[in-house]
Amino acid sequence: MHWVTRTFSHSSDKTKNKGHCNRLRQLCILAFGIIGALLFFNGCASVSIKNWYQDPGGIPSKHELNAVPFYPQKEYQCGPASLAMALAWSGLQIDPDDLTSQVYTPSLKGSLQPAMVTATRRHGRVAYPISGANALLKEIAAGHPVIVLQNLGFSWIPLWHYAVVIGYDLNEGAVTLHSGITNRKITSLRAFENTWARSDYWGLVILPPYRLPASANEIGYVAAIVGLEKSRQWGAAAQGYQTALNQWPKNFAAHIGLGNSLYRQGELQSAEKALRKTTDLFPNEGAAFNNLAQVLWEQGKNQEAKQAARHAVMLGGPLIKEYQKTLDEIQSDEP
Amino acid sequence: MKLIRQRSKSTSVFLVILMVLLTVPFQPVLAAMIETEATLAMSAKGQDARNTIKSILAREDAQSVLRAQGIDPLEAMARVDSLTDAEAVRIADQIEELPAGGNFLVGLLIAVGIIVVILAITDALGYTDVFTFIR
Repeated sequence: MHWVTRTFSHSSDKTKNKGHCNRLRQLCILAFGIIGALLFFNGCASVSIKNWYQDPGGIPSKHELNAVPFYPQKEYQCGPASLAMALAWSGLQIDPDDLTSQVYTPSLKGSLQPAMVTATRRHGRVAYPISGANALLKEIAAGHPVIVLQNLGFSWIPLWHYAVVIGYDLNEGAVTLHSGITNRKITSLRAFENTWARSDYWGLVILPPYRLPASANEIGYVAAIVGLEKSRQWGAAAQGYQTALNQWPKNFAAHIGLGNSLYRQGELQSAEKALRKTTDLFPNEGAAFNNLAQVLWEQGKNQEAKQAARHAVMLGGPLIKEYQKTLDEIQSDEP
Repeated sequence: MKLIRQRSKSTSVFLVILMVLLTVPFQPVLAAMIETEATLAMSAKGQDARNTIKSILAREDAQSVLRAQGIDPLEAMARVDSLTDAEAVRIADQIEELPAGGNFLVGLLIAVGIIVVILAITDALGYTDVFTFIR
């Protein structure tokens, strides 16, 4: 069994490959082992680790996080276990068993990536997907553990597995993982690259909303916070938008999102302040005036509300019907 | 070959309907606040995806299936409109992935897998109530 997996993945890894998520599939792999080995020598020999990463600059040659607790997985439960480890690092102690219902799909004997993302959001944490070695190294160097999706089997008989990367050593050519039932599993870059490549280098950083991913880009990060808002985590969303604004002070979605999240929390005065700022910075965005109008109206400031709503309608745009509705509502409220 | 093609078509129609009906929650008409997401520039991709799904729902065989389920085709269209860009793209991608021949079964399995996952998520969020084990 180990022979097949190890052969395919070029593994120089001495640890046992226990604790896969899809144990049943190992039987298939055994059955197809010989064919697979042939295909492997034929097809995968070209896999190389050159250019695995280009030095992202400014990171130490090795780093390991001590603050990530290890939870050994139960059968097929690498998703909940990995998520629990990352959440625990972010300050939320949650038993992996309690996460199972949120991420695990019994019929698939596994957890899919969207489920991992939504479960993270439902706990008020930012789920920021990353891709590639550079982003991975940057995050680890910044002290952020990264959940990675590996395929420990074949591309056509996948053995998908989640693990948490907690360290790397570029001199030794190794990464350190909390994986399966193994605490601090040291894996060669070569083996890791082979198994990670098959998920297109998918990784997930889980952070409290006041902390920015080291590899964050503006659109990706704001979208991640919109996801928090969609999960009705208003407080975390407001905090996340603030984090985004500290880094990208001119992002419209983050400005209006901050106002919207405060509004959803019932903090009308703070929402008004945030939305006023949004209208000041973006005087051509009708949506900001529309939302400001609503917030003013709910505070009984009808005159100001009407003025803002009129301005939104005047600015027009694809959402003009919504603006008109707001204006009509406010006007119908007149004594 | 022809048989497979016919089947995959009717299957994709069925899948679209199933996914739309089961994954899209009824969204109460909220106050006049514009959602943050709506203010993000709507990607052309999301709009294309919505059109793809709608063009399938507009087919007569699709509409008759809808009616047989007691669903107003207009209501189904409205639900497509309330899909987020990402959701619309995901569903449209699934339809694309249902091939006319060869690996049809694989595509079907993937699609069914995704339906299960989305259901599980919406279930857990309280939008639907299909999988009792989540509660």
